[in-house]
Amino acid sequence: MANPLRGEVVRLYKNLLFLGREYPKGANYFRERLKTAFMKNRDETDPEKIKTLIARGEFVIKELEALYYLRKYRALKKRYYEDD
Amino acid sequence: MASRVLARCVRLLARPSARLCPVNAAVRAAAAPLPLNQRPFSILSCSQRTRQTDQIRIPGSLAQLCRQYGDLPPLTFESIKDRVMYVLKLYDKINPEKLQATSHFMKDLGLDSLDQVEIIMAMEDEFGFEIPDAEAEKLMTPQEIVDYIADKKDVYE
Repeated sequence: MANPLRGEVVRLYKNLLFLGREYPKGANYFRERLKTAFMKNRDETDPEKIKTLIARGEFVIKELEALYYLRKYRALKKRYYEDD
Repeated sequence: MASRVLARCVRLLARPSARLCPVNAAVRAAAAPLPLNQRPFSILSCSQRTRQTDQIRIPGSLAQLCRQYGDLPPLTFESIKDRVMYVLKLYDKINPEKLQATSHFMKDLGLDSLDQVEIIMAMEDEFGFEIPDAEAEKLMTPQEIVDYIADKKDVYE
């Protein structure tokens, strides 16, 4: 409970939840998956391992951003070149 | 209550006064013969400000009617509580029948800390301001959320 990394994890969860609102498969789908992913490692106590997991979360954030950019790019492209 | 009225007077005063200053004399002449019951704030606020407010308000009565675009109805303890409870009832993991103002999210409602983060995010959406993480993790009952929001939004008894 009093783990110093707790704040980090909560922040990560919040950020991911916020990003997941625009997930193509729906916010609820994303939320459930996110919850399972966090719950899977709920008993982790080793700070090093927690840090690795947080880094993985940050990586997922990057991935999500890339996904949204790509979606935007595709939508724009579709509007300009419809016969492609 | 009085401070809210006063703040409202100042707000009303702030914008039109710049425009109306050159015609202040004319306005005063127009304002003089009006009956007392058309001065909504005259009893509540102090005299000097009241006189000024009247002068501005009367010529601008029409403008005043349509100039409250961004003005939300003032928050009260009851409205905050209603909105908090409404948001919580819509949250799918909470059983609406078990929900009380004093029930602890984890002990009484069986949620975990991640659910609590989601609840806080929903509150941020509902009330349109951000709750810092350090304070968010202390908010464990609906009553605490209501008190915190009332504190931040300057709502008093």
